[in-house]
Amino acid sequence: MTLFEDIRILCELPGVSGREEPVREYIISQLPEGVSCETDALGNLYVEKKGAKRPKNKVVLFAHMDEVGLMITYITDDGYLKFDEIGGIDPAVLIGRTVRLECGLVGVIALKALHLCEGDEDKKIPPIRELCIDIGAKDRAEAEKHVALGSYAVFRSDYVEFGGSRVKMKALDDRFGCALMLDLIRSDLEYDTTFVFTVQEEVGARGAVAGAYTTAPDIAVILETTTAGDICGVEGERRACALGDGPVISYMDRGTVYDHDLYRLAMDTAKENGIPAQTKTLVAGGNDASSIQRTGAGSRVLAISAPTRYLHSPVDVLDKNDVENMQKLLNVLLPKLAQ
Amino acid sequence: MDLTNLLKDLTSVPGVSGLEDKVARVAMDALAPYVDELYKTPMGAVVGTIKGKGPAIVLDAHLDQIGLVVTAYGGNGFLRFDKCGGMDPRILSGMEVTVHGTEDVYGIVSSIPPHLAKKEEEGKAKPFKDLAIDTGLSDEELEKTVKPGDRVSLKAYPAELLNGQVASVAMDDRAGIVALIRAAELLKEADCDRTVHFQFTVREEVGGQAAAATAYNINAHAAIAVDVSFARTPGVDSRDAALIGKGPMIGYAPILDKPLFERMKSIAEENEIPYQIEIMHRGTGTHADELTNSKAGLPVGLISIPLKYMHTTVETVTMEDIENTARLLAATVLAGTTALEGGAV
Repeated sequence: MTLFEDIRILCELPGVSGREEPVREYIISQLPEGVSCETDALGNLYVEKKGAKRPKNKVVLFAHMDEVGLMITYITDDGYLKFDEIGGIDPAVLIGRTVRLECGLVGVIALKALHLCEGDEDKKIPPIRELCIDIGAKDRAEAEKHVALGSYAVFRSDYVEFGGSRVKMKALDDRFGCALMLDLIRSDLEYDTTFVFTVQEEVGARGAVAGAYTTAPDIAVILETTTAGDICGVEGERRACALGDGPVISYMDRGTVYDHDLYRLAMDTAKENGIPAQTKTLVAGGNDASSIQRTGAGSRVLAISAPTRYLHSPVDVLDKNDVENMQKLLNVLLPKLAQ
Repeated sequence: MDLTNLLKDLTSVPGVSGLEDKVARVAMDALAPYVDELYKTPMGAVVGTIKGKGPAIVLDAHLDQIGLVVTAYGGNGFLRFDKCGGMDPRILSGMEVTVHGTEDVYGIVSSIPPHLAKKEEEGKAKPFKDLAIDTGLSDEELEKTVKPGDRVSLKAYPAELLNGQVASVAMDDRAGIVALIRAAELLKEADCDRTVHFQFTVREEVGGQAAAATAYNINAHAAIAVDVSFARTPGVDSRDAALIGKGPMIGYAPILDKPLFERMKSIAEENEIPYQIEIMHRGTGTHADELTNSKAGLPVGLISIPLKYMHTTVETVTMEDIENTARLLAATVLAGTTALEGGAV
């Protein structure tokens, strides 16, 4: 199984926050023989991988299994489904899209036709509360036969490789990180390493609290995706980071002040080994590190991310070269962290 | 004929206004078994004819769909674009597209990440000029394959909903094309002895230049345009829309022929075909408007298939409404009415 086959399969699975079972089951099914795993009360998955040597520092890697999605909250008399978002979603990426519901049905999300709009209605993106999913039901009673309140819906999106080295899919945030960890677990490691596949990152980095408490890392490394703003019409520091410029090593984001020595070590290690790497030109975003750093007696945290365009949409886009460079960097950096 | 598969085939082939060749070929192949003559006009429209007695009738549906058109290179693998037809700007953020260059190129319409969005832009659809298509290609590769003027179609994720509803892109007006092809089949089965011209027209979404030109060489006494119209969805005044699945909408408007309207209504009732009435107070926004001005003037009727979410990637229709539209068309042709000859009922 290549890394990108794993990414495709993992991203296709539905796994909104709190409902990560399909992702967890797939990861467990892919663990090599002799590798032990455990699941906790919240659904976090712990994997211990023996290396050739015992480490001085306990290094724990984290990636989250959950994705953003929708939750059905109400059914109207006419049989339309009202919903709220699970994780942050821009309503603009929902309009004119189809979603797959937990019951297996497909629904569409759209607005009143352009031609029937009045005033500046045709230029407005309504808030999520005003949108609804149409499953073609005649009325509430028919919709209720299929759809339960609290059930989820996920984006429909095909895995696409395009533009030379780009990959587009839903849920790359953070199935990509899960796939990277799975790849490391399948490989021969120099030191014993612990892996935590977390739940509920998108609703406030909640699974990582138990994940960090249980594993008590000396050093926690978070493998993630991070927003790239290198798109047409965005200039200077607002681009944050760029596809193709290498993995992103964070010094600070909206949730975490990263361990500065680890930040420098990662940057220097990349440079010494001729591996492209970058940092963000904006303090923005956040990930499981915010919870991990403060749990138990606290941990030193390091985040390494693939720059990704259009995060939290059906069309997350990352660059294969960044992924390859992230693997190269981890291969040389992880032994250094363990020593 | 499997109408569902035909509609799938027709909506999976792109045909943005001005670039209808591919979909025209699919439609021609599907129509061919039911007509005696089949040709393309200089503008690219398709005309198929069942030869019989006069007076002849024209049935019209349009092949083209709305899309985008490349206007300039944006650098870093991006393309600037404008709309081609009445594109809804509210659906474009993060939309997957195909750029029809010398080769098809996959792209995504850029969407500004929330942390970069300005407060005052929140809740507003980005104007076309602020959006760009991300192809992921180097500028050198992109400029080899794609040129300004190339058309762009939107990718759909086709969906089958409850109650026989199907959603995809370009149902406007491929649903009408399917209805015409099915009507041709019904007429063939009924050994129709009247002359019928099926015209699949082009460029409807950008001004309807082709409808009258296509009918110009046809010596017809009446025409019926078949298009889609609004089915009710949340927030839509029931006065402005019909109900999906409740039958074709027979159009009534000052510019349409009143005897033909009345005739189609009574034919629907005689044949127990469900129908709805669509009242418009001036033009109809369909090819019916242009057809009335063909040559010395034509009496024109309009039948519309109820459709939800017009001009999006989730245009939704039912196969039942398409079938009933075809039945109504075939019954109207077979009735051979005086209305079709331009007289009173």
